[in-house]
Amino acid sequence: MEFLQFIIPLSTIKEGHLVSEAKVHFKVTRFIMEAGVKLGMQSIPIATACTIYHKFFCETKLDAYDPYLIAMSAIYLAGKVEEQHLRTRDIINVSHRYLNPKSEPLELDSWFWELRDSIVQCELLMLRVLHFRVSFQHPHKYLLHYLISLKNWMNRHSWERTPVSLVAWALLRDSYHGVLCLRYPAPHIAVAVLYLALQCYGVEVPADSEAEKPWWQVFSEDLTKPVIDNIVSDLIQIYTMDTEIP
Amino acid sequence: MDRDLLRQSLSCHGPTLLSLLRSEQQDNPHFRGLLGPAADTARGAPPLLARKERRGDNIEIQKFISRKADLLFALSWKQNAPTVSEINEENEDYYAIMPPLEQFMDVPSVDRRELFFRDVERGDVVIGRISSIREFGFFMVLICLGSGIIRDISHLEITALCPLRDVPSHSNHGDPLSYYQTGDLIRAGIKDIDRYHEKLVVSLYSSSLPPHLSEMKLGVISSEDLPLHYRRSIELNSNSSESYENVLQHSMGFMNPGGVEFLLGKLGISESNPPSLMRGLQRTNFSEEDFAFTLRKKQSASWALKCVKIGVDYFKVGRHVDAMNEYNKALEIDKQNVEALVARGALYATKGSLNKAIEDFEVALETCPTHRNARKYLCQTLVERGGQLEEEEKLLNAESYYKKALTLDETFKEAEDALSKLHKHMQKSLELREKQAEKEEKQKSKKIETSAEKLRKLLKEEKRLKKKRKRSTSSSSSASSADQVVSSSSSSSSSGHKKHKKRKRNRSESSRNSKRHSSKASSHPPDQNRKEESYLLPANTSASFLNQKQEMEKLLENQGRVKEREKSNIQSSSSAEIPDNFGGRSEDSRDFYNSSRIQASSSKIEKPFKPDRYFSSRRDFSGSFSRNSDEKIKNFNRKFEKGVEGRKEHYRKWEPGSMRYSTSPAGLDCSWKSVEKSKKYANTGLHGFNRNDEEQRSQLNTNQKKESENREENYGDEIEDLEEDALNGKEQSESNVKKNLPQNLLTIFNQIAEFEKEKGNKQKN
Repeated sequence: MEFLQFIIPLSTIKEGHLVSEAKVHFKVTRFIMEAGVKLGMQSIPIATACTIYHKFFCETKLDAYDPYLIAMSAIYLAGKVEEQHLRTRDIINVSHRYLNPKSEPLELDSWFWELRDSIVQCELLMLRVLHFRVSFQHPHKYLLHYLISLKNWMNRHSWERTPVSLVAWALLRDSYHGVLCLRYPAPHIAVAVLYLALQCYGVEVPADSEAEKPWWQVFSEDLTKPVIDNIVSDLIQIYTMDTEIP
Repeated sequence: MDRDLLRQSLSCHGPTLLSLLRSEQQDNPHFRGLLGPAADTARGAPPLLARKERRGDNIEIQKFISRKADLLFALSWKQNAPTVSEINEENEDYYAIMPPLEQFMDVPSVDRRELFFRDVERGDVVIGRISSIREFGFFMVLICLGSGIIRDISHLEITALCPLRDVPSHSNHGDPLSYYQTGDLIRAGIKDIDRYHEKLVVSLYSSSLPPHLSEMKLGVISSEDLPLHYRRSIELNSNSSESYENVLQHSMGFMNPGGVEFLLGKLGISESNPPSLMRGLQRTNFSEEDFAFTLRKKQSASWALKCVKIGVDYFKVGRHVDAMNEYNKALEIDKQNVEALVARGALYATKGSLNKAIEDFEVALETCPTHRNARKYLCQTLVERGGQLEEEEKLLNAESYYKKALTLDETFKEAEDALSKLHKHMQKSLELREKQAEKEEKQKSKKIETSAEKLRKLLKEEKRLKKKRKRSTSSSSSASSADQVVSSSSSSSSSGHKKHKKRKRNRSESSRNSKRHSSKASSHPPDQNRKEESYLLPANTSASFLNQKQEMEKLLENQGRVKEREKSNIQSSSSAEIPDNFGGRSEDSRDFYNSSRIQASSSKIEKPFKPDRYFSSRRDFSGSFSRNSDEKIKNFNRKFEKGVEGRKEHYRKWEPGSMRYSTSPAGLDCSWKSVEKSKKYANTGLHGFNRNDEEQRSQLNTNQKKESENREENYGDEIEDLEEDALNGKEQSESNVKKNLPQNLLTIFNQIAEFEKEKGNKQKN
């Protein structure tokens, strides 16, 4: 745990039990998201990394492990799982810079090698905690297909005018700051995200009221309106933490 | 802020959103203007109450919208969403192609129809069946769409008209409509829409389609060409209990891991610049320096620098191998590391591999043009290399190096000095050549005047030589004596014994060759003599022949003159101007080098002399092969080519000669080729020359090496024959002479040849 001093000031950890764990997770997942972009990761590997992280801390307690180290290992592992392999050297560089802004890249010394070792060890630990189940069905693919189907149904001009796809994708990505991914099945999350995106712009699905089935029901048979509402409200809740964290 | 979007959202959510927006976004300057008029739209709220009520639980969402309004309604979203060109590749592999959504939703036909006519556009591709054919066109019932939007219209019984003028004719005459039948599956492009009356006009010309679809084939299609979504739609119709989810999950395209990327492209979402509604994750906040790629580069550079430092320490101590290892390690870590390249270049330069050093410095300068040391070292190395080249007499190369060094660093004194020195050197050599050329010309003129006397002298000397040869065939002294005889013909000085030695030195080898030639000539078998005759034929141009005729006659009278001729041939100036049939061979060769740049000489090289020169040059080559420049060789070749043509003409004239000539080439070819392969140059070849033509040739060939190969290809048989002439020395001169002489002189030549033979025999004895 000597790496803690290089990662988070100890004071924050002491306060950890006061500050809600969700906030820590939010912060660390924010770190994962940002590091993912800087490492050039795609959306799905980032989503996998976040899911692994969340799952891990469901099984374990937050103070047992350094969350940032877990996050780095989650990134590394996710890269392997989703076939977008990342080098530990890059992960260490980006993380170090994130946590120590404007610092010089690390020297290739023993400290570096130890850090790298710890990532690899942590990776094995996480695999064991998660029972080696580290591949997930993400909502992304569903969402994309829904978007295509919806796009064909809508008037093409209004579709082009309204950035529904982008906002839906953004909402989905941001949802990984919380534990939505663990609570709801992938198609449901996809539908809910799409629903919210349409809501934001006041877009109406044509003939939705005249149809036998509403569009969201079509996409997911076992989905119900309350579930959508739940998901939406959870999602919005995640956003509130954004403004609170400095 | 995008007003339209904002308005749309407001109209959907009603006045509560408006008030929320106002409170949340009061600080935002973008909204101040917009929210004002938005109040007007709020008045339009009552009719929307119905909608608003339905979304009673919307407050949360509205709050969310109001909070994120600046992001949601920012214009930057539009930039992020490029319109992707709609090429409907019905490629199942990339993603799951689904039947139209409305089919699952079970939208009533009325609405579908209405929406269809609202949304269809010109240029869309439709597929349908011909229902009836009239004289003005045909009607078709649409069954599905082929591009743009995907709709389920098969049951809507939408008909479209394809007028006659939009039907391309399939035959040169007759009714284009006759090609079609009722029930044909047709793919057409929509040309005109009357939305109000729900009427469509289609066309079978691809001009009706947008540019990106212009390759689509319009007209009759088969059922295999039906789009996949339509086929799936039909399946769904028959099995209406299938859910969207099921269809989706059971289709192959859904499993494709690359589908995500493909669809993102189709929808215009970028992964490198991913959208987000989190304030902290806005891409603009990310500094380029924090990215993994940049950090890695920086890190590699500093690691590499470390290795370079260690390497430099090794270098100072003298451990060059270790230093090189460190530099290479550094370059592996960071390929473009300037310091490592410069250090390695310096190490190469110290070790002597100047070319590698230059390479390294140049790469370093490319990456970092302001590196002082790189520039300095590069200049130094260039000058050094230039010096090396100068010593090797590659003067042009050296010059380019010096100039390069100067362009890099104008203040580099050494380069300037070296360049000026080089220029002087070049000038001197040019002057020398010019002098020599002049001398040769003088000599030629002198020769012409006193050739008869020279010949006599030469013949006498040859006799002496032959006697000496008998005593010591291998000794070069005999050669030297022969050289003396021969050298008298060297171009640098007028024929004379005094100059023999000079010439000897200049032409020791050439003279040896000539001597060999003469000795060989003497030992020639009869058929070779004939060859000689034939060789002689093409040697000179008619012009030179005319000049030389008188002299030739004199020569013919005197056998010795033949030899002298040989010498004179050898002597004859390198400048091609020599109309003399005594094309100095050896002299030519050397002077050729020197005067290769002298355009006059090259242009004037006449055909008859070429073979001689060729051979003489070869002899010289043996002596001064190392100094041959490619340019000179090329000049030679060119000249020779000219000569070949001339010779050919002569050959034609002298048919009898050519007859004899033809007997030899075969043998010559073989020998020539074998000679080239053997490539042995040795003065001891003198023996061989005396005894064996082939050996002689081989030696000559080895002397010439590449040149001979080139020449052989260029000149072919004739040259080879001519080469034999050269080999035959005297015979060459004779042949040259002979070629110019009219047929009535041939007999005389034959006599001479026989005389030579006898001499050769005597020598053997």
